[in-house]
Amino acid sequence: MRRRVFAVLSIVSLALCLAFPILRFLGRISVEGFRSGLLIASVAWFVFAPLWSIKPKKN
Amino acid sequence: MASKISTLAGNLDKLYEFDREPVTPDKLQAWSKFAGMFAGEHVAATEFVIGAFFVLHGVTVRDLLLGLLFGNLLAVLSWALVCAPIAVQTRLTLYWYVRRIAGPGLMVVYNIANAVLYCILAGAMISVSATAVGLAFKIKSPALTDVFPNSVGWVLIAAALGILFTTLAVLGFEKLSRFAQVCSPWIFVIFAAGALATLPKLGVRPDFSNFMEIARTKIWNGVAAAGQEKLGFGHVLFFAWFCNLAMHIGLSDMAVFRYARRWTYGFLTAFGVYPGHMLAWIASGIMVAGIGREMNPGFMAYEAAGLAGVGGLLLAGWTTANPTLYRAGLALQSITPNWPRWKITATAGAVTTVLACFPVVFMKLLDYVALYGLILMPIGAIVFAEHWILPRLGMEQYRAEKRGWIINLPALGVWAGTLIFVFLLPLHLYFKWLPGYVFAVASYTALSAFGRRAPAGGRP
Repeated sequence: MRRRVFAVLSIVSLALCLAFPILRFLGRISVEGFRSGLLIASVAWFVFAPLWSIKPKKN
Repeated sequence: MASKISTLAGNLDKLYEFDREPVTPDKLQAWSKFAGMFAGEHVAATEFVIGAFFVLHGVTVRDLLLGLLFGNLLAVLSWALVCAPIAVQTRLTLYWYVRRIAGPGLMVVYNIANAVLYCILAGAMISVSATAVGLAFKIKSPALTDVFPNSVGWVLIAAALGILFTTLAVLGFEKLSRFAQVCSPWIFVIFAAGALATLPKLGVRPDFSNFMEIARTKIWNGVAAAGQEKLGFGHVLFFAWFCNLAMHIGLSDMAVFRYARRWTYGFLTAFGVYPGHMLAWIASGIMVAGIGREMNPGFMAYEAAGLAGVGGLLLAGWTTANPTLYRAGLALQSITPNWPRWKITATAGAVTTVLACFPVVFMKLLDYVALYGLILMPIGAIVFAEHWILPRLGMEQYRAEKRGWIINLPALGVWAGTLIFVFLLPLHLYFKWLPGYVFAVASYTALSAFGRRAPAGGRP
């Protein structure tokens, strides 16, 4: 269950990584807003993605 | 000499012992695993440079799009029609198949050549990443024509990064490989994000209505930068085709496809090359246009996507340099018997770090990629001829294995002869490999036919 939550959160983070440049392209946010948003979403991806995608190695 | 080569080959055999036997049917993998693996495999730090170089080489938008579309198609067909069928029939790695065909001695030579080429490639990845770190310390990035380091600061950063990457590779290659899988989708998103956010700066309207006009006039405008050779459709097509030449025509991806249920899995490489070698190259082209066509990957990534862009460039460099260092170490292990893994990786890393200090390794990346494929391609041609042509002509296969040759001399001659042939060919570097491949296949077949008349055995 917990892995599923982390999976959803990481996918949302990655989607946000794409949403910020789209918003920038459409002129809805500033360059600084885009850069900060992308950085935060990226950090979120690296926090959540390893928690579900890296499986412990089985012996 | 022969006994020394035998010892080296024996050391190498021990390293690859675990995959000596053909893959058994219960180990075969589903197509979805291949699609997923390829999708994350072709986005490296060097993509930041390659796409940008197409802009600097004055490629037009039409030549770029058509060249990448068809060049990548040819690459996919090479995997599907050349590499995957041999892998599925033999279920062996290239290492063991070349050993049967060319003898263990030639396999040692091939491995050492591979190790040197891997070190240069990893050096280029570290150099590219160094431009990102240099940004933080206001170190001037090397110029397009620079061969040697342009400052002490550049050397310090490239060396520090090389030592860091090597140390991390020594400490835990496997864990880092698993972490690299987390990085790959994000790195691709960073490419897309950087390009998309650069478009308004170039004047592209939010409805995309003037995108092609901007692309034609401000990005791929057909004007080469000063000192850069003008490239056209043929160059782009061939580059996209040969940039993984060692993997498809050179057959090193037999290691992957031996697990495929069917040869048609070769078509799944399209999931990797079209995002990595088309979309990412287009994205980096847009990003370099956004900084006034300056070849500075670190600055380009920062301007396009801020700190996330810089992080993307660093991670792209690190995650691809890491397995490259590992492979270089593995290839070197044949000549360093009894050395522990850390020592070999550290040695490969030290060589790589020195190379990374020379900006020429990434400033001449396009030419290096061409040379890399060209040097290893004849081995793929020899295997192709032995596997498909010799049996159809009623000629005996695997004579090196059957007669216990250390080196299959016709194979060695064809490898060396092909390299001389392509060197002398009056063609652009990018176009040399194809006639070279035909030459290698034909000459190996002819030499094998000639060799059949000689008495068996007695070779060195």
